[in-house]
Amino acid sequence: MTDSSRVHGDLELAGRCLAGAPGAFDEVYRANAPRLFGLACRMVGRLDAEDLLQEIFLTAHRKLGLYKGESALGTWLFRLATNLCLDHLRSRGVRFNQMSDRLDGEIEAGAAGSGAILGVVDRLDLERAMVALTPGCRTIFVLHDVEGLEHKEIGTLLGISDGTSKSQLHKARLRLREALAGQNTGRLKSR
Amino acid sequence: MATPCTTDQSRLSRLADGELTPAETTEVRAHLARCVDCRGLLADLQQLRATARGLGPIAPPDHAWMQIAGQIRLGADKPVAAPVPARTVAANPTWQWIGLAAALVLVALGAYVFRGGAETPSSIAETGAGNAGTTASVEAVTTELGLAMAHYEKAVAELERIAKTDDTSLDPIVAATLQRNIGVIDVAIAESRTALMESPASAPARDSLFAALRQKISVLQTTVLLINQIRQGDHEGAARIAAGAGKKS
Repeated sequence: MTDSSRVHGDLELAGRCLAGAPGAFDEVYRANAPRLFGLACRMVGRLDAEDLLQEIFLTAHRKLGLYKGESALGTWLFRLATNLCLDHLRSRGVRFNQMSDRLDGEIEAGAAGSGAILGVVDRLDLERAMVALTPGCRTIFVLHDVEGLEHKEIGTLLGISDGTSKSQLHKARLRLREALAGQNTGRLKSR
Repeated sequence: MATPCTTDQSRLSRLADGELTPAETTEVRAHLARCVDCRGLLADLQQLRATARGLGPIAPPDHAWMQIAGQIRLGADKPVAAPVPARTVAANPTWQWIGLAAALVLVALGAYVFRGGAETPSSIAETGAGNAGTTASVEAVTTELGLAMAHYEKAVAELERIAKTDDTSLDPIVAATLQRNIGVIDVAIAESRTALMESPASAPARDSLFAALRQKISVLQTTVLLINQIRQGDHEGAARIAAGAGKKS
C-alpha cells in the first residue's frame, strides 16, 4: 500500500469514526493499541500504562476531527500518545529540560577496560533493566532506540538540545550495559 | 597493568547510530583497530541497539477496550461516574438480569484463574519487581512494591466509593452477584497478602496479589459502568458490558 492510499484509507476511517459508524473506532483501537500500550508501559511503567492507554484513546476519540491526513493515522496517534506519556512524567516531577549533556565519570570509568561483556541480549532482561533507568534516560532510550525517533525530534518533544539527547542516550546505554552485565554475572554465579 | 582507554566513548554510540562525519568515522575506526576495550564496548552498544529495536508491541489486557468503549458510550468527556440528572430505569424482564448475573459470575472464576501466577513479559517489565536480587537492591524493590500496592489500593478505594454511592440502580440479583465476585477476589487478595508476608521475596506471591488487585479494580470498574448504563436506561449496553466482563475471564 502506498503512503497516499494509506492516508486516504485513514481519513476514510477517521470519517467513519466521527460519523459514529459501528466498529470504526474499534478498528482504530485494534490496529494501534499494542504499539501505544508498549510505548506507555516502557515510558511510564505498566502500573500507570493501562490508565494512560485509556486516556490516549479517549483523547484521540475527542480530537479525531483534528486529524487532517498530514501523516498516517498511526503516526498521529503515536505523537499524541508520546505527548500524553511525557505530560504524565512531568506531572510526576520529571524535568527533562534540567538534564545535562555531561556524562557521569563513574559510568565511563566503570564501562572502560572491560571489552565486550554482553553477548546476545535477552529481550526480557533488557525490559527489566530499562525499568531501573532514570525517567529521563529511559524516555530518550525508548524514543530513540526502541521507537526509532531522531534526536532532533526527541529534542523538540522534550525541550532539550540534540546534544543533550545524544549524551543521555549514551548514558542510558552504558547503564543498561552495566545492569545487563551484572545480570549475566549473577546467573553465572548461581550455576 | 594496562591503562584504561580514555577516549570519548560517546563517539562510539554515535558511530553505532551512523551519526559521525566521514572524518570522525575514519578517526574512530583507526582507534578501534588498536583498542580492544572500545571494540568490545562498540559491539555491546550495537547489540543493545539491535535488541531494543526488536522490542515489539505489548498487547493490552482484554478489558482495556471494554472500559474505553464504555466511556465513549457514556460521553468521552465525562468521568465514568458522572451524575446523570434523570433516572430512566425501565422495567426489565427477569431473564435479562439473570443473564447479566450469570456472565458476571465468570469474573469471579477468573480471579482464581489469574491466581495461577503465570509471569507475563509485561508483568515482569512492569515494575522491575521480577528483578529482585539481580539489578535492584532489596530496599528498592520493597519501596517499589509499596508504591505499587498504594496505587492499586487507592484505585480500589475510589471505585468502591463510587460503586457504593449509588448501587441502588442495580437489580438486586446483579448487585448480589457482583458482591459475591468481590468477596471471592477479597479472599484471593487476603491469601496472597499472607503468602507475601511469609515470603516477601516471592515473585509468584507478589504477582498473585497484583493480579487479584487488578481483578478487583476490573470488577469495580464494570460495576460503575453498569450503574451508569442502567441509570441511563440502556439495558442493552449493560448486557454488553456484563457479557464483555464474562469473556475477559
